[in-house]
Amino acid sequence: MLRYLHSLKAALRFRDYHPQPVSIASATRWMKQIDKKDLKLAWKLLDKVIYLSEAETRKILLHQNSVLMSNLHKAGLPPKKLIYVQTDDAGSSSPMMLGMLRNAAGLEQLGCTLLDGRDAFGVNEATKRLQEGAIIYIDDFVGSGTQFNKARTFLMQSVVGSFSEFLLVPSICEEGLTKLTDLGVEVYTGHIHAKAERPLHESSHLMAGEGRDRLIEICKTIRAKGGLGFENMATMVVLYRNAPNSIPAILRGSDKQDPFYGLFPRTKDLPVQRPK
Amino acid sequence: MPTLKPTHPEIAPVVPSGQLRRLSVEDIKPSTNNPRMLFDKPLLDELRKNIAEHGVLVPITVYQPKGQTKFSILDGERRYRCVVDLTNDRHLGKDGKQIKIPANIVEPPTMIAGLLYMFSIHNFRADWELMPTALSLKIVMEELGETDNFALSKLTGLSERQIERCKSLLAFPEKYQKLSLDPDPQTRIPSNFWIEALPVINLAMDKVEPVKKLGRNGATDKLVEKYKDKKIKSVIHFRRIMESYELAEDDAPQQAKVVRRIEQFFLNPKLETRAGFDEFVVEKKRVKNALAACEEFLGQLKKFKLKYTTDEDERKNLRTALKQVREYCESLEEALKGDDDPEADQED
Repeated sequence: MLRYLHSLKAALRFRDYHPQPVSIASATRWMKQIDKKDLKLAWKLLDKVIYLSEAETRKILLHQNSVLMSNLHKAGLPPKKLIYVQTDDAGSSSPMMLGMLRNAAGLEQLGCTLLDGRDAFGVNEATKRLQEGAIIYIDDFVGSGTQFNKARTFLMQSVVGSFSEFLLVPSICEEGLTKLTDLGVEVYTGHIHAKAERPLHESSHLMAGEGRDRLIEICKTIRAKGGLGFENMATMVVLYRNAPNSIPAILRGSDKQDPFYGLFPRTKDLPVQRPK
Repeated sequence: MPTLKPTHPEIAPVVPSGQLRRLSVEDIKPSTNNPRMLFDKPLLDELRKNIAEHGVLVPITVYQPKGQTKFSILDGERRYRCVVDLTNDRHLGKDGKQIKIPANIVEPPTMIAGLLYMFSIHNFRADWELMPTALSLKIVMEELGETDNFALSKLTGLSERQIERCKSLLAFPEKYQKLSLDPDPQTRIPSNFWIEALPVINLAMDKVEPVKKLGRNGATDKLVEKYKDKKIKSVIHFRRIMESYELAEDDAPQQAKVVRRIEQFFLNPKLETRAGFDEFVVEKKRVKNALAACEEFLGQLKKFKLKYTTDEDERKNLRTALKQVREYCESLEEALKGDDDPEADQED
């Protein structure tokens, strides 16, 4: 009965998770793999998931963008001086967020420039044309900031003129925020994901003691390498369109979801559907 | 250190805002360049020691791009980096507080002034990607209407050879330039590919009829395909083609053979550079002969035990001759030095 209630709760909270919809059945399947004695720990962990639905993600992006645009306008930068940049391949999170914002905020109608940050030529041309303005990077989540910085460094070598830099992101880890602040990229976000919010992170007291050790052990059994996610960050933010690679393995599951079925598999973790 | 004084009539000077402020490291935005690549460590250590003892005595120059909270550095990156290091080491100033950096606040520079500053910074960096530099140089040339290598060298601080290399890159159409701006290093075509390929393409367009028919872009495409297919294992091997042709200069049948081989090289996707041209370049023997010539030349010259001559004309002639020898030796040594060895771009 208790398992059913938790499955129902999960299905209601995470129903629009895109890679693999969360239903009562899928949540029950996930819970059935976990030893009865560990179930309470797993439920407790699940309660700490910070889920950003599509509606919420859109709301945060739109609001933060509106605040940023207003601040930039006051600083003398109208929309036509703003360059919105996706930092990753088409189909991944950054272009998806840019697409969402473009449609919702009418960026092109306002005269903003939209670019793929990997198009060094385009960046060079656009910055040469504008000579001054703001570069606004967009993504859905930033963990350590390492990936972001790699993309930014590549882009910046083609920038000419005087440009300030901003990142619009629904959620960012405190580690990433510190790194970006040091780099001089100003972050506009709806949520700063503190280490204290992550039960399996060594700095968190949310689940101290044996319970945490047991969950860490389970994670490492599922994924010997990276059981607590990228750089052991053990983050708890899950976005509707994909989970970051820094979430604990008990939530993410095994590669191809075998042997351990995750509640929030990343798109790349799903088994390949072969045509019949 | 980079100069902020305008060196060209078209360049607007940096406009001071009249503010001198004491900034903490948190108020300043570092440049995107890697300091370990930009600056010599011993020099940086020396400066850091000096700042630890006396503080920053010469103000840095900063500006604030519109909308940005932090100040961007226009001049003084090294001083800033030293203070960051000292702050990270919890070193305090004489007043027992975090070290502050005196900074002259100026208006944001014009695009050209900013570019020229970027050039002066990147001169410290040996392996700066050449294609973005070439694109920036193109802007400088367009905006200032300046194309002379010597003048551009004075403006940017790039050597005339670097400018010539950038110009070689800019000689290729944009679609090829983009291939060197690929964010994925695995699929990126190194800038050196174009620089080394250019004389080969020029030669083929001039001497090889079937290649002429392909057109310049068609010929370039053939080389790109070959490179991607790893049939050009190192871009430096293009030099073998040029060398093969030059060595056969006085031997018409041999030169005709080289031209036919160049044709095959362009048209046969499987023909690898060394397999195609090694037979024309007997490298080992030539290097051995060159070494022997060096020893013989030095030995003979030393035998004369010359230290002075009273004959003014003879002295002048000898100096000219020695200067010619020195220049040739320097150019040869530079070519062999490998400081920008294209082989480094591509694994064999």
